[in-house]
Amino acid sequence: MTGIWRGVNYAVLVAITFILLFPLLYALSGSLMSAHELSSYPTPLLPAHPQLQSFADVMKAIPLAREYLNSALVAALITTGQLLTATLSAYAFAFLRMPYRNALFAVFLATMMIPWEAIIIPNYLFMADNGLINTYPALVLPFLAAGFGTFLLRQFFLGFPRDLYEAALVDGCSHLRFLWSILVPLSRPALAALGIWAFLSAWNQYFWPLLVTKTEEMQTLQIGISRLRDVEAATAPNFILAGTVLALVPTLVLIYLGQRHIVRGLTAGAVRG
Amino acid sequence: MAFAFLVPSLLLFAFFTFWPLLRSVYLSFHGSDIIGRPTLFVGTRQYEQLLSSPTFRDVLVNTALFTALTVIPSLAIGLLIAILLQQRIAGIGLFRTLMATPFAFSVATASVVFAIFFNPGVGVFNGFLYFFHLPPVGWLTDPSKALASVALASVWLQLGYNVLVLSAGLQAIPDEVYEAARLDGARAPAMTWHITLPLLTPTLFFLLVVTTIISLQSFGQIHILTRGGPAGATTTLVYSIYVNAFAFGNSNFGYASAQALVLFAIVLAVTAIQFGVLERRVFYR
Amino acid sequence: MKRLVIGLLMLVVACGGGNGGSGTANPLDDNATPPAGGVEVQFWHGFAAGANQDATNALVAKFNDAHKGAIKVTATYAGNYDDTLAKFKAGIQSNQLPDMVQIYDIGTRFMIDSGVVQPMQLFIDHDKYSTKDLEPNILGYYQIGSKLYSMPWNVSMPLLYYNKDAFTRAGLDPNKPPQTLDEIRAAAEKLTMRDANGQVTQYGFGAAIYGWFLEQWTARADQQYCNNGNGRDKNATKLQINQPLDVKVVDWWTKMVNDGLALNTGRNTTDAQNAFKAGRTVMNVESTGTLRGYQSSVKFALGTAFYPRSEASAAGGPIIGGASLWIVNKKPSYTQKAAWEFVKFLELPENQAYWHTHTGYFPVDTKAANDPTDQQWMQQYPQFKTAIDQLHATKLDKATQGCILGVMPAARQAAEVGIEQAVTKQKSPQKAMDDAVATMQPQIDSYNQAVGAK
Repeated sequence: MTGIWRGVNYAVLVAITFILLFPLLYALSGSLMSAHELSSYPTPLLPAHPQLQSFADVMKAIPLAREYLNSALVAALITTGQLLTATLSAYAFAFLRMPYRNALFAVFLATMMIPWEAIIIPNYLFMADNGLINTYPALVLPFLAAGFGTFLLRQFFLGFPRDLYEAALVDGCSHLRFLWSILVPLSRPALAALGIWAFLSAWNQYFWPLLVTKTEEMQTLQIGISRLRDVEAATAPNFILAGTVLALVPTLVLIYLGQRHIVRGLTAGAVRG
Repeated sequence: MAFAFLVPSLLLFAFFTFWPLLRSVYLSFHGSDIIGRPTLFVGTRQYEQLLSSPTFRDVLVNTALFTALTVIPSLAIGLLIAILLQQRIAGIGLFRTLMATPFAFSVATASVVFAIFFNPGVGVFNGFLYFFHLPPVGWLTDPSKALASVALASVWLQLGYNVLVLSAGLQAIPDEVYEAARLDGARAPAMTWHITLPLLTPTLFFLLVVTTIISLQSFGQIHILTRGGPAGATTTLVYSIYVNAFAFGNSNFGYASAQALVLFAIVLAVTAIQFGVLERRVFYR
Repeated sequence: MKRLVIGLLMLVVACGGGNGGSGTANPLDDNATPPAGGVEVQFWHGFAAGANQDATNALVAKFNDAHKGAIKVTATYAGNYDDTLAKFKAGIQSNQLPDMVQIYDIGTRFMIDSGVVQPMQLFIDHDKYSTKDLEPNILGYYQIGSKLYSMPWNVSMPLLYYNKDAFTRAGLDPNKPPQTLDEIRAAAEKLTMRDANGQVTQYGFGAAIYGWFLEQWTARADQQYCNNGNGRDKNATKLQINQPLDVKVVDWWTKMVNDGLALNTGRNTTDAQNAFKAGRTVMNVESTGTLRGYQSSVKFALGTAFYPRSEASAAGGPIIGGASLWIVNKKPSYTQKAAWEFVKFLELPENQAYWHTHTGYFPVDTKAANDPTDQQWMQQYPQFKTAIDQLHATKLDKATQGCILGVMPAARQAAEVGIEQAVTKQKSPQKAMDDAVATMQPQIDSYNQAVGAK
């Protein structure tokens, strides 16, 4: 392409990148500013004297490490749960004969059609009635199974060579043995895809943790960040932005370094149509 | 025997998906006492109240507007960006990685940052306007602008995912198709229109369905940015459910459940329309 | 095991001594024996990490030390005020209530109607506790008739804050702050500064669209926010916020914003506070709770004044805000009595002085002012004297006691929506407030129906 068009092309790309990056850039810049700078108007874009004080302050004011732990634990438990339940069900649908198989699969599909917000109230009441408000089970239990996982894995398993399966059976391999020793290792891409999707969904959850966590010790990271405004010490945005930056580190690392794996995971349902 | 494999999932679905759905219906037919217990059977009265309530009408309008303002721009802009990122030029990998940044944000982190941008007194956006001698805008305090502002934050957040998915979809289109077209004398715009877009329709359709559902379920950004205000301008259906059931000392679980079932119906209807009407135009290879 | 013991004891209490104060038997007079290791009191409060929580924990520790082996109070942060109330409501259903809880002022009617609280008056009468040293204007909010339901604990009031330096620069006397809405407007006209491009750089006034302020203006004019004696003669059946006075206030606010004299920062109080601290607004109405925060972060001389009147002849006064302490009644009598010991402890003058000087909330006990730490603090924060003077200058009547309404949190929200609609010119002030009253009516009706109020 000709020189000037190339220049324009790059300029456009840079402009778009800047717009998409701006919130992150401002969060980084603001977290390094002092409270005084952020209380003036118009607020400066770059810190005059960068300081790390806000990071120290935010870690002292809220139990950030605990919130990280909560989010990580909850997300890990949910991911494990979904991988297990989905693998088992998808295996049954893909390989095993059973009566009413199609009807049962329709039941699984149906769960994908019910939006969580339509049933959030009864689920909340269930937790409240059983004294589970502000506990880990409340954060984890409703999400241990998801129809999407079964759907995704079944799709993948259906493409598995039948002969291998039959040969294993003839050899006296039990279902679980086959599943664990042969199918799972060969299904790594699909399992990774589901795992990443499940983990990220759980990590980013907001509405449900908002309802069922009531104290700082149980809050997940997302709730903790959104509550920064209420904390007494949060007199200026630098405090809030520092907390936000700290919360973004894992996902930033993930997408900047692991982009290829994520893309594979997310597009699992998309590209093949 | 095979059932044993399904039992874990089915048990969980029973407890946390199907039974709650039935309970939602039950609650919607009952009014609550001051603690929230469904003590009074009121039949369909709460549904009737919804149908005749001008506030609820506004809620539905807000929901439709918000969905349109989020889905259409995030798909259109996402597509443009994804096409630009397909170019084989130096440094495109870096652009692609950096442009995925919104995907690293969650609803909570993005909303917190945008809240600072939109701040009425000392916000960054009004600071920009001031710098250019322009009058400030009530991004979140002006009812005519608040919904669009929240949608802006949502579009930014959604672009990360959309661009990633569309890029993957574009890359899946084999080069040979373009080669063949180029040999036939086709030029870039024609190729985009006659080759790229049709072959991209599965991905576009998938993204349309997903983005619509995400939009209809949006909650976090509204809660953090506006709490449904100003004057109810950003109260969508999900937020209305939240307010009636959990906010401001409310525990009107019955009335909120009726709204929750309306949400269910809308999601079903929208998805059905998308699959029934639009999926026909998807070009599967 | 402990639950079994408590359950059995509750059975004894319920069947053996009398329940809820009916008849002549006082539920505190049963002879239930406290457990050998001491009584535990679970206390839920709504203070997030910060000075208030620290002060709470310090007082709890002091109490536990003084009552080692007999009573142990465990204080837990249960979420902000809304969340604590929600958690409490959920706890009623699942029978997982604390022994003592802090609930905000607007949750008072609900708590009374919930049926799970033991009125403070019961303990006061049983112990013959004297309330003569407690500020009557503060007790007034939580009393119906002369029966005190909960013990006020963290008390705040609204004040007018202003930037003295900006006043001087504009040629206004910094020691003569405006006292009525009209005077605020007149001052704002002199204080609002524009730059060369016509952009406003400094607004005369700014306040969050916070329903509490409208309640204050109503009481300031000695008017009742809701009917039936502000909900104190019997359950209120309607809101009265579309009366001429309220419409006048909303109209004033609308004109201030639309004439460019006031900055509209929306409902969030932090946003309005930040605008004031940054010098974007010169006058600001806010709670006494923000005094210390303002003092430590503003770069100008801070002035405080009485909360403005709607007009010079207004005869009322502001309402106290904050939260109070409630004791749950579904507990063994020794637990309730132990909680009452803690309540009394918190109201002692030296602890009130500690509380006041560490949080900036009002001392409920008048004797606290004699405490040397308190006097020292008052010298450091002379602006607080304005608040105390304002409290003493208020005549206690039904209007200044504040509206007691079961759905008060929702009513406050409806008022905010009304003000927003007026200020952003979606509706006229009269229509906006009429609609606010109309939207709340069904909720008030179903609340009254649910509690069987006539």
